[in-house]
Amino acid sequence: MAEPTAFGTWAAEHRGPLSVDDDFTVLDDPFEQQAFTTQTEKEGTLQAQSTLVVQGMYCAACADAVTAAIAKAPGVLTVDVSAATRRVTVTWDPMRTRVSTWARAVGDTGYRLLPAADAHTLTERMREGRSALLRLFIAGFCTMQVMMYAWPDYVAAPGEIPPDIAKLLRLASFVLTLPVLFLAASTFFKAAWRDAKLGRIGMDTPVSVGIIVAFASSTAATFYPTGSWGSEVWFDSLTMFIFFLLAGRYWELKARDRTAGALDAIMHRLPQAVLVRAADGREQLISARRLVVDDTVIVATGQALPADGIALDDDVTLDESLLTGESRPVHHVTGDGLIAGSLNVGGPFRLRVTQVGRDTRFAAIVSLMERASTEKPRLAQLADRIASPFLIVVFLLAIGAGLVWWRIEPQQALSVAVAVLIVTCPCALSLATPTAMLATAGRLAKGGVLVRRLQALETLAKVDTVVFDKTGTLTHDQLHVAQAVSSPALPTARAWALAGALAKVSAHPASQAIVKQSDPVVHPALSAREDHTGRGVSGRDAEGQLWHLGSWSFATANAPSVSSVAEAPWAGPQVYLVCQSDATQWARFDLNETLRPDAAHTLRALQAAGLSLALVSGDQNAAVTAVADRLNESDLPTAPEPLRWLRVQAGASPQEKLACMQQWQASGRVVAMVGDGVNDAPVLAQADVSFTLGQAAALVQNRADYVIQSGQLAEIVAMRTAARATMRVVKQNLVWALCYNVMAVPLAMLGWLPPWAAGLGMALSSLVVVVNATRLSGDGLAHTAKL
Amino acid sequence: MSVSAVNATVYNDRVVRQFAIMTIVWGVVGMLVGVIIAAQLAWPELNFGISWLSYGRLRPLHTNAVIFAFGGSGLIATSYYVVQRTCHTRLISDKLAEFTFWGWQAVIVAAAITLPMGYTQSREYAELEWPIDLLITAVWVAYAFVFFGTVGIRKVRHIYVANWFYGAFIIAVAMLHVVNNIALPVGFMKSYSVYAGVQDAMVQWWYGHNAVGFFLTAGFLGMMYYYIPKQAGRPVYSYRLSIVHFWALIFTYMWAGPHHLHYTALPDWTQSVGMVFSLILLAPSWGGMINGIMTLSGAWHKLRDDPILRFLIVSLSFYGMSTFEGPMMSIKTVNALSHYTDWTIGHVHSGALGWVGFITMGSMYYLIPRLFGQKQMHSIKAIEVHFWTATIGIVLYIAAMWIAGVMQGLMWRSINPDGSLTYTFVESVKATYPFYVVRLGGGLLYFGGMCLMAWNVYMTAMAGVRTKAINSVRIPQPQVAHA
Amino acid sequence: MDILFLLVSISVLLVLAIMAVFGWAVYNGQLDHLDREGERILHDD
Repeated sequence: MAEPTAFGTWAAEHRGPLSVDDDFTVLDDPFEQQAFTTQTEKEGTLQAQSTLVVQGMYCAACADAVTAAIAKAPGVLTVDVSAATRRVTVTWDPMRTRVSTWARAVGDTGYRLLPAADAHTLTERMREGRSALLRLFIAGFCTMQVMMYAWPDYVAAPGEIPPDIAKLLRLASFVLTLPVLFLAASTFFKAAWRDAKLGRIGMDTPVSVGIIVAFASSTAATFYPTGSWGSEVWFDSLTMFIFFLLAGRYWELKARDRTAGALDAIMHRLPQAVLVRAADGREQLISARRLVVDDTVIVATGQALPADGIALDDDVTLDESLLTGESRPVHHVTGDGLIAGSLNVGGPFRLRVTQVGRDTRFAAIVSLMERASTEKPRLAQLADRIASPFLIVVFLLAIGAGLVWWRIEPQQALSVAVAVLIVTCPCALSLATPTAMLATAGRLAKGGVLVRRLQALETLAKVDTVVFDKTGTLTHDQLHVAQAVSSPALPTARAWALAGALAKVSAHPASQAIVKQSDPVVHPALSAREDHTGRGVSGRDAEGQLWHLGSWSFATANAPSVSSVAEAPWAGPQVYLVCQSDATQWARFDLNETLRPDAAHTLRALQAAGLSLALVSGDQNAAVTAVADRLNESDLPTAPEPLRWLRVQAGASPQEKLACMQQWQASGRVVAMVGDGVNDAPVLAQADVSFTLGQAAALVQNRADYVIQSGQLAEIVAMRTAARATMRVVKQNLVWALCYNVMAVPLAMLGWLPPWAAGLGMALSSLVVVVNATRLSGDGLAHTAKL
Repeated sequence: MSVSAVNATVYNDRVVRQFAIMTIVWGVVGMLVGVIIAAQLAWPELNFGISWLSYGRLRPLHTNAVIFAFGGSGLIATSYYVVQRTCHTRLISDKLAEFTFWGWQAVIVAAAITLPMGYTQSREYAELEWPIDLLITAVWVAYAFVFFGTVGIRKVRHIYVANWFYGAFIIAVAMLHVVNNIALPVGFMKSYSVYAGVQDAMVQWWYGHNAVGFFLTAGFLGMMYYYIPKQAGRPVYSYRLSIVHFWALIFTYMWAGPHHLHYTALPDWTQSVGMVFSLILLAPSWGGMINGIMTLSGAWHKLRDDPILRFLIVSLSFYGMSTFEGPMMSIKTVNALSHYTDWTIGHVHSGALGWVGFITMGSMYYLIPRLFGQKQMHSIKAIEVHFWTATIGIVLYIAAMWIAGVMQGLMWRSINPDGSLTYTFVESVKATYPFYVVRLGGGLLYFGGMCLMAWNVYMTAMAGVRTKAINSVRIPQPQVAHA
Repeated sequence: MDILFLLVSISVLLVLAIMAVFGWAVYNGQLDHLDREGERILHDD
């Protein structure tokens, strides 16, 4: 993959602490801004929503600081920060503020906001990884040396080491602890200082205090051994627990790449620089954002397509799983339309760009995932609320324990107080939920299932009822008009033409079938076309007549006198075209629908898992019953268990569907709905968890919790399993985090935990949470081992 | 002959050729002296009463010849070869490289003359007197300049891991040599060390063990990380591990020295530090061994047909064995048995013959044909014979020494019920005699193999000279980055 | 064991030097893309 090699100079500019004096005006540039901001209109006012990466943020306490800083800026409406993905989503009023304004506000607190794409190019993670690695090395190396100089003290008999040599060894330990303190541990101090300035206690505050206390007393003991601090030196414990803490964080940083990073990798798979061939055959490397329609791009092996386009070469092989859920590589030939974001797993080929930037489906997926990743699920919010008071309690306990031990055995007092400060880890609590959910979301995304709300994972695990729409859900969204029957007053050809023209504005599968099978050349011009989702389409023809195309009830809305001849039984969907001012002009389209091949299997699997099934459709009875019957058919040698439906309802209007759902929810059920995303929008919104299938619905308008791009119903079963596994892991993490803290603090207070063990414990506790979550990303620990 | 390095289009292989040939020559010489002194231990009359043939004088000649002449030439030859090729640039200064060659040969010749004459500082592996020490320092500074300078003008951004090992070896040896050899000259070939007593012992073995660690280990690991992938045609098993391995080794080697001084006047706590760190050293050492051997993962069949690869891989097995044996022997209780016995000699030689010897031989077998424009060595069969002869030689050698060593240790500590020693020292010497003979046999086999190698190298080189096949190798030019 | 004054001092200085070298290596990108670098040895040189 092409990568500009700027890291040398860039790294040189960015090593060390984060002092942010950028003015961020580049973020106000409209061209740059389009990469991370969308503008929407809400209640008549213009609103902008930006998603950026926060550099320098580590944990929930940092997240709080960032939130506080941004929220204070006037014109900012909402702020959502995710510590796990290090992203912030801000809704702001473009009339009252600019991105640079609140970006500067955050910069003043010591964090830098970066457009996500830039952050990845400059491999912000690489930069962070580098300084983390250096800090870890310094801590580890010096720890070993300090341990070595401390060793003689432990093994020698009293008086065996001459005093000047003993002092030499302590002095050497002191000198070697300095780099650990000022270079390696500086990250803790900076975070604690940032929090202190904001008047809060953060995750790193107790650790910093512990380190400083231990260092101060050891230094005093080295230079003034007869003083009141005593003559115990802690340099070895001190450096050791700093090392353990940094090691834990380093591994966490790497492991995070497997959870949030999987999502990140998908979001940033588009190359930053692409090779473009000019008309004269010269090839040039340009920024992907400068691509325009009709450019010819040479897509390298392993690269993602930077834009939608047409293949100019044969023998193209792409991995389209992210976009369509199709897990096998897809072969394309010259002239095929290709989608931005698919991965080229074959040889290099030429692509002519047809659509770039925000207009591509990939961009919609990315922005959906980004927003999802900044969301804070319920359990995470709960954990965060506990964190701050918990830390205050820890401080009090540390002081208390120290005072008590001062009475009993003064030498131990310091060690105990430091241990209590170091051992606690509310970070594990905060990481417990997001890491697990993001890992699952990332894994699902790789398979083409998009998760719009992380909270939906928790709900899906609890679902006990699943409601299916019929058309386009249990059946393929591809319908086929089998026959068209029209009244004598309306020639069939004209009926087709009118229907085709009307149906164009509807995304309903029936409409699409009609459009497909009608000849666009003869479509009359219509005015005032309106899509009444869930019911039909209306429009006026050149003579001003109002036509309705849709369900029987909708088509006959204003023309109740349509002859009942129009109706005829048909084991499939039916669409009616009626002239509202002339009931003699009507047509009926009988459509065939095919069941999705995995529909029966999915329903049985859900039923076997103990869920109740319902089928609620706007279509009329015959079609619905036909489908329900067909679902029970099977060519298996032994007849499988028949489907027991909670309810099968036909002819339901959107309001009736909504009422149905509300009734179930009122009786305590947790309801999931599977629909097509556009026509059932209000019902999907009412459901506790919603699924849409396929790619018919434009992602931007799709409000479902889950989008199964492959259209495979069977994914629902897998997703439920994944959701339950996720919640299991979340619970494990939360239980672990709680138990660890509940047990570790008393152990430290009782003096059973030397400071180095406390550091080890703290590092391990959050590492355990993160590693436990990686089990959900599919590759599991095998990947973590490669860290 | 000096070409401006920056504009050079071909590598400087002339100095590599020079050092490579001398590696073989000094290998034969050093091992011959080894065989002689091994024979003398069994039959002391083999000094013929001549002072410069006496064991005490020939032993340091042997150690210096095999470590610095044979090992050193091999290291410099390969480091010059590897640094040029992994950095895609010619050596920074042909003149200085030439100086390192002649200077180093001068050091060796000076050693070959002064040591039998009896001039010695009596410091193990640092016996050479002060004028030669100064010459060594001058050569080493030049070597460091050539090596690091070449890395500095590299055309490839990444510094291949082998160069890190070579670099560490060069710097460490410089520091060790200077600190250990600080002395007050009182005559042309006489000086007194500034250190004395137990302080001297500590410095000596700080030097001694680090010399093993950086000269005999780090340097040759550099060789290994280049020649094994090249000969096997596969990349190192885990490049990441090789980097970790390097830094871990650097961390831990510094303080293993005191394990040479167990139960001496050195304070107990210092001995303990040495013991602990020697044990810790086991991990990084084995990391390197696993990395090298597993490079063949999925291609073990190559060992069947390629004797050169066999030298290289088997060297790692001996490396692993020695780096396990060493830490074991540094445990005080074990050391109480092994110290001053022939077990120590066995340990040294399994590392020297097995690891250092084999990796050098394998690398030379790879290198020499290429240096003389040949597709392969004159006789592959001879390499096969060499491998088996040498391996059997090593096995005989170390087995003899293990048995002798343990036997000596047990005999020396054996106490009668009344508290007196069961055996006199002479009795233990007599009991060791047969093992000295077996060891001599092993050594002769190993030496014979070396002679076979010398013949093979001679034939290969002559073929190259005769057919004027020695050519300059073009340096790949950096491609203009366009992607 | 006065010699320790010498040896410990040398050792401490060495440690600082080694850390400096490692820092240089990290920021110079020597530790990036390690898998690629391992493969590179097999290219023609």
